Amino acid sequence: MDFLYSYIALAEVYVLLGLSTNLLVGIAGIFTVSQAAVFGVGAYIVAYCLMHEIVGFVPALLLASACCVVLNVLVTLPSLRVSGDYFVVTSFGIQLMATAIFINWTGGTGGANGLPGIPPPDLFGFPLESNELLVLLTTAGTGFGCLAFWLIMRAPFGRLLRAIREDELAVAAAGKGVLRAKVSAAALAGAFAGSAGGLYATFLSFVDPSSFDLDASILLLTMVVVGGARTLPGSILGPFLLLALPQALAFIDIPTSIAASARQLIYGLLLIAFMLFRPQGLAGEKL
Amino acid sequence: MLALQLLINGLVTGCALGVVSVSFGLIYATTKLFHVAHAGVYTLAGYLAWSLVRQGVPDIVSLLIAMVASAAVGAAIQGVLYAELERRRATHLVVLIASLGMLAVMQNIIAAVYTPNILQFPLPWSSRMIGIGNVRLTWTQVLTVVLCLGAFAGIMWFSHRTILGKQIRAVASNPFLAEITRLRPQRVYVTVMAIGSAAAALPGVLVPLDLGLQPYGGVTPLLTATIAMIAGGIGSIGGSFLLAVGIAVLQNLSLLIMPGEWSIGVTFGIFVVFMLFRPTGLFTRR
Repeated sequence: MDFLYSYIALAEVYVLLGLSTNLLVGIAGIFTVSQAAVFGVGAYIVAYCLMHEIVGFVPALLLASACCVVLNVLVTLPSLRVSGDYFVVTSFGIQLMATAIFINWTGGTGGANGLPGIPPPDLFGFPLESNELLVLLTTAGTGFGCLAFWLIMRAPFGRLLRAIREDELAVAAAGKGVLRAKVSAAALAGAFAGSAGGLYATFLSFVDPSSFDLDASILLLTMVVVGGARTLPGSILGPFLLLALPQALAFIDIPTSIAASARQLIYGLLLIAFMLFRPQGLAGEKL
Repeated sequence: MLALQLLINGLVTGCALGVVSVSFGLIYATTKLFHVAHAGVYTLAGYLAWSLVRQGVPDIVSLLIAMVASAAVGAAIQGVLYAELERRRATHLVVLIASLGMLAVMQNIIAAVYTPNILQFPLPWSSRMIGIGNVRLTWTQVLTVVLCLGAFAGIMWFSHRTILGKQIRAVASNPFLAEITRLRPQRVYVTVMAIGSAAAALPGVLVPLDLGLQPYGGVTPLLTATIAMIAGGIGSIGGSFLLAVGIAVLQNLSLLIMPGEWSIGVTFGIFVVFMLFRPTGLFTRR
């Protein structure tokens, strides 16, 4: 039962992250491999706040989201002014730099050992200690995220983002602020990733740098690509399918020493195969 | 004294990085693809050479075989993957994601075959020191400078003086017009990828002689090389080489004031500065 709970909760956290990646990759058309880094920043902020009893869970989550919004805007703003390809560099750079900080800044992040023993979250003074309550919390958080995503995509702002994806020049010619819309999408993606990080840290009660490295970013991108870009069902489908993959692999007899590489290899193959044969993913729209 | 040694080390690393930068720039300027999997080719070359050396193949022959094999891998990535994506009218983003997938595939095949641990080349001569004045260099470093400067000069000569080089530059500047004049862009792309991959294989083998091999070790050099390419101006071979040397020197000198783990921060700081003040690079003509 505990296993099922943790599968569901983790998948939900990744749904929230998938929405964040989807906003950037699928909707604004910005390639990113740094969402895991932003996710990590959110997770570490919440973990740090709770462990040192600075603030409660809800303010910590809000703080984490706010920091990730600022981070994402700072990251996107200079590159978007210039050219799409430069964002690839920024995004790789942010990811590598974040990993360096997570591993080497032992005072704040616990270094390679991570931060163990994060206290359970509390909702307005009421601590959530059992697994059932934690799953309910992530479900509520992710449900809220999905609703927000759905509403945004229906709003005029969502249509503007779609239009940019189709033809940026035409949108600019129609007098709409392309740069502003893209930066807003990035900010929103930051808020999603930050809160996903907070939920992740409190559910596992442990964070370490390996959850937020380049491989994690690639996994995230694979989830979005397999599920399908630009749609809510796609963002939900991808994480649930891909998190089941390691369990499916456990049935095949792979030596444990290469299990991690084998998993990552499959993600890479999935990326290539979907890009070649079905770029819209299982339940998405044209990428 | 330490500063001088670091300066020299920076110049040596810079030459190796410069070749990566030039090779990536050649591919990027011609195919317009952000070939992320280049980091995989770079890493693969080192591992191939390591295997050959272990089998008792002479060192220089191993290097040459690794370069030829990398050229074949690069040409295959272009000829099979990118050409097919182009035929299916894939958007830029789709190609980029596929390239990232290719990188993940290559890195993890290497990690599965060779284990993710650091491997050292079993070559005793590579770490033997020679002293010039107060500066000490390993034989690897001397070899790196000589071969990489040679490769840089070779690429310069090739792309400005040979017919094939001129064809490549023609396709790079206008693929449509080049096609009218009976140049076939796809075929030129395959050639460029082969040349670029062979060039990247040279530092891919030489740098691990000192630092050892790691399956995921190609991303940071590629990122630094890309930053050098952008800062130097896309399409400018000399510019990207020069900037790569500059960045490597700054990285090494920064060791005087902060620990090595943060050198990626220095690189990235340079990138942000360029981004804000000179986004088209230092040496662009247009």
